[in-house]
Amino acid sequence: MTELGLGVATLEHEPTGRTDPDAVDATLAASGDASAFERLYRTHVPKVYGLVRRMLSDDDADEVAQDIFVRAWQKLGTFRGEAAFGTWLHRLAVNVILARRETLGTRRKRYVEGDMVLETVPSRRATPEMSMDFEAAMERLPEGAREVFVLHDVEGYRHEEIAQMLGLATGTSKSQLHRARMALRQHLER
Amino acid sequence: MIQDPWTDRLSEYVDGELPEWERHALESHLESCADCSLTVSDLRRVVRRARTLKNPAPATDLWPGIAARIGAGTAKAHDVVDLGAQRRVRRRWAFSLPQLAAAGIALMTVSGGTVWFLSGSARQSVVLAPVPSSPPGGAAAVNVSMRPNASQSYAAAVADLERVLAEGRGKLDSATVKIIEKNLAAIDRAIAEAQRALDADSGNLYLNTHLAETMRRKLDLLRQAAALVPVS
Repeated sequence: MTELGLGVATLEHEPTGRTDPDAVDATLAASGDASAFERLYRTHVPKVYGLVRRMLSDDDADEVAQDIFVRAWQKLGTFRGEAAFGTWLHRLAVNVILARRETLGTRRKRYVEGDMVLETVPSRRATPEMSMDFEAAMERLPEGAREVFVLHDVEGYRHEEIAQMLGLATGTSKSQLHRARMALRQHLER
Repeated sequence: MIQDPWTDRLSEYVDGELPEWERHALESHLESCADCSLTVSDLRRVVRRARTLKNPAPATDLWPGIAARIGAGTAKAHDVVDLGAQRRVRRRWAFSLPQLAAAGIALMTVSGGTVWFLSGSARQSVVLAPVPSSPPGGAAAVNVSMRPNASQSYAAAVADLERVLAEGRGKLDSATVKIIEKNLAAIDRAIAEAQRALDADSGNLYLNTHLAETMRRKLDLLRQAAALVPVS
């Protein structure tokens, strides 16, 4: 008979740091529990969707975000719990997004041509009337600089990780980040 | 116009990635260069702004499309168990594999009866939610014995729920507690038998599926039971 020992009450949605609710739901989802997977979806979709929008475009966001969660469902068997589920999902999302970019053929020369496109972002400090939304300014960055900026400053990846994901030299990642920041500083709210 | 040689290094400075000697040299430069000081300040603001960007959910709920693609097309959000927030009692058991249903019929009867009993005690409706016709990721996805970290998470969740019950058992009807314990014991025996069988045949898909499903049933039962404990 199962003994119900004494202890502290902790429920799945009231984490104490000892139990990761995502890990439990990931385990259940890996055994085929779609309801557990839906909980994971609802927890993580805002962040995943934001990543897709910033790395690609609003037009592709719904479809690609959906692809990411379908891929996650298919790959749940490879989730070992060594990292947080959110970290695992996020890395998977980046891979799906980068693969989509390859499919769309948008990677070509974007790191080389970045300087030219960067000029489309106003270089003078914007007046309040001129200032555009920070997110809109991000969209106008050349793709290479935007990718690095999103992955580093928004998502928190390190240059070494970004260089590996994007197939760049670490120094290229650093220079793209600096160019992106220098362009975006014009669009800070004053 | 000659560009300040430090300009291209300012992001590295902001990120703390300059070697110590360069950092000291740049800091000396910043004391006398207003442009670079302003740029550093702006770059720090850009970084802060990036870290505080909002992530709104998509305007359209993507779940129905995802559910359809993974074979759970009729799953609804209201079927999701959210004990911490709602304390609702819902049933999400699934019997999608014919062989599992045949092998575990006795277990289903006894533990299913418990859930019916518990649901009746809570005076709440029982909702049957379908699950996908096949588990994700093929055979490897249900090989519980090969996923020690996930199994540890499961064990921790079970332990937490058992503690909830232990704390609340005094608030439950004694007959309810007796039925819960009896059927948890039945499930534990089924888990132990499946694990013993897996020791001899670790690659057996049926046994792995059966073990995963039985472990899930235990967690479901514990959740149902924990939901009955009044919040003090």
